[in-house]
Amino acid sequence: MRSLRIRRVRKGMSLKHAQGSKAAMRVGVPRALMFYRYYPFLKMLLEGFGCEVVASPPTNLRIMGMGTDLCVDDICVAVKALFGHVRHLEGEVDAVLVPRLVSVEKKDYDTFTCPKLIAAPDMVRFSFPHLPPPLEFVVDVKKAPFWWGCLRLGRRLGVSLRGIARSYAAATREQRRFEDLQREGLLPEDALKRMENGNDGPPPAYASAERDVTVAVVGHPYLLGDPLVSKRLIHWLDSSGARVLASTMLSRRDLEREARKLPDLSWSYEWELLAAASHFMEADGVDGVIYLTSFGCGPDSLVTEMVRREVPNPHGRALLDLVLDEHSAESGVRTRAEAFVDLLRHRKRARSREVEKR
Amino acid sequence: MRVAFPHMGNAYIPLRALVEHVGVEAVVPERPNRATLELGAKHAPEFVCLPFKITLGDCMNALEKGADTMAMVCGMWACRFGNYGHVQHLILRDMGYEFESLLIGREDPRAVWEKVKRAVGGGAFRRLLGAAAVFRAKAAAVEEIESKARFARPREERRGDTDRIMERYLTRVDEADTIRRVREIRRELREEFSALPLRDDDDVLRVRIVGELYVLLEPSLNFDLVRRLGAVHGVEAQPILSTYRWLLSPLWLDPFLHVSSSRARRVSRAYLPYVLGGEEHMTITGALDAPRQGFDGVIHAYPLTCMPENICRTVLPHISVTRDVPILGLCFDEHTSTVGTNTRLEAFLDMLRSRRGRGRNAKELEAEGVLRA
Repeated sequence: MRSLRIRRVRKGMSLKHAQGSKAAMRVGVPRALMFYRYYPFLKMLLEGFGCEVVASPPTNLRIMGMGTDLCVDDICVAVKALFGHVRHLEGEVDAVLVPRLVSVEKKDYDTFTCPKLIAAPDMVRFSFPHLPPPLEFVVDVKKAPFWWGCLRLGRRLGVSLRGIARSYAAATREQRRFEDLQREGLLPEDALKRMENGNDGPPPAYASAERDVTVAVVGHPYLLGDPLVSKRLIHWLDSSGARVLASTMLSRRDLEREARKLPDLSWSYEWELLAAASHFMEADGVDGVIYLTSFGCGPDSLVTEMVRREVPNPHGRALLDLVLDEHSAESGVRTRAEAFVDLLRHRKRARSREVEKR
Repeated sequence: MRVAFPHMGNAYIPLRALVEHVGVEAVVPERPNRATLELGAKHAPEFVCLPFKITLGDCMNALEKGADTMAMVCGMWACRFGNYGHVQHLILRDMGYEFESLLIGREDPRAVWEKVKRAVGGGAFRRLLGAAAVFRAKAAAVEEIESKARFARPREERRGDTDRIMERYLTRVDEADTIRRVREIRRELREEFSALPLRDDDDVLRVRIVGELYVLLEPSLNFDLVRRLGAVHGVEAQPILSTYRWLLSPLWLDPFLHVSSSRARRVSRAYLPYVLGGEEHMTITGALDAPRQGFDGVIHAYPLTCMPENICRTVLPHISVTRDVPILGLCFDEHTSTVGTNTRLEAFLDMLRSRRGRGRNAKELEAEGVLRA
């Protein structure tokens, strides 16, 4: 039965008939790239559509290794992780969902996400010939509103209009809850955990306001949120006694406020990073900023230069560029995190001594 | 106002004509070489794509030569190229150079026009029209020289004849100051090429080169791929993109270019349905069309970490299998060596040659009735 279902998906027919069987369709969501931004939304939406959602496990060395083997070699580490996760899901699920994010905001000039996000489903489609093509979920806000993509996906899965509207509303609520949790100072990974377990335990130690130095980490959610890719950067900062803020914790309004200081940029997500860096350079109580990128990230190679040279830094805050790839070692990241926190501590002490002298 | 623009293949010939006929002095830096690339790579971000590094070195050369205005084409695309001008000028200003930016496509077009008008004075628009005509004529002349040379080089009787003619005519086109003069030069060029003694054996391998625009067109980056293939290996190499195409297609001066690129978009939609901002549609279409157009193989040249071309790389193996066309990927960065590239080229060409031999043998044998039995 399942092979028949797969064949129908491959032919591009409506899945309505395939759903005739009792078993719900198993849809895999790889834990990479946009997972850390939209997973609660996608999960709720797909469950509303009557699918069983299977998320791949957190990235481990085996997944990363498979991704590195399968993917072209000079692409960023996050795409390699995506390939590893898809490989892991292959065989376990009837179809995978790799969202295609073409543009996510409307501005008075053209905006895009990264080309790799635009073409992610195509890369998966041609690299995994035995997998049925990924379900199309297109976000192209420049051309059609966000819900249009959900409607297309729902129709393709044979869901009624009413069912689509209901799941869309529920998914939007879930996504808002996820974002609110992040605004409260949780990293994407912890926010996801809390949503799954539903406990309101104590806030994590890195969010404590009583610590003596504060480090702001600016980077893509798929780098920040994936401990294997970021080599547990947050953990190392936390264990050296720093309070950690991250770009994912800022609200849209915080970012919009920075707009007039910054140049126009066609990449929406990189513009957010630029705005976040600018916010942390001026916000009260931040001592240093870490700009986290992955090797081979196209947009970031230019945006790092903009952060260094163009973002105003009125308080003379320390900035650390940290470049990650699949070969980086945990100890290297740990040394740099500890050294950076030490540096900030020394600076702070030296400055307060200067103020006392005066 | 002394305007400078980065090099890209022979694009400097029509661009210099455009700037000078508008009535502004053009500063053309030396042709880029490995030293330019190393200079640019020293100051550029670490893993930015190669064209950024070499054009940054080029800009520094131009500023050293006394340019005071840097022109660059920009845009709001998903590819990094659209932001080159902005970031390069940030870096150059931080290095202490002083100049004015002319970011065509990023700044308000009216603001750009005001800058030009201030520099030129009266009659700027009329002059611009005249300059555009000369620009188009020279671009077409350069295109003709290049395409004739590409055909003749692997077939020439005496090695080096084609290059000598090409060099001479490029200089002449560069020095010509009217459209009529350009037309005369083209007539002489055709005569000279038809008088060139060519071998008439039909055994020349034909290779399609696809990939990123700058790497395709700039000989200093691709180790002079087209010329090397022609003169050393005796292979006719046809890049899918040309200077002429890149210069004229955004200006709506040649409708044919639009037909062909919209066809490319249509054909490549089955593989990459969304625009990525680079030359991905030409790469895909070039590889798809190669067997039909009589090419023995495809060379895919791209700079390290190029986003659109890396995405194409996940698609090209599929095309290679389904269309039965061999594809060689050549990645270029500032550490790529001539020898490594050469070894791979030789192996690839040997493979193509044996493939072709096998195909012909099969046909001959079939004609003799051996294979049928």
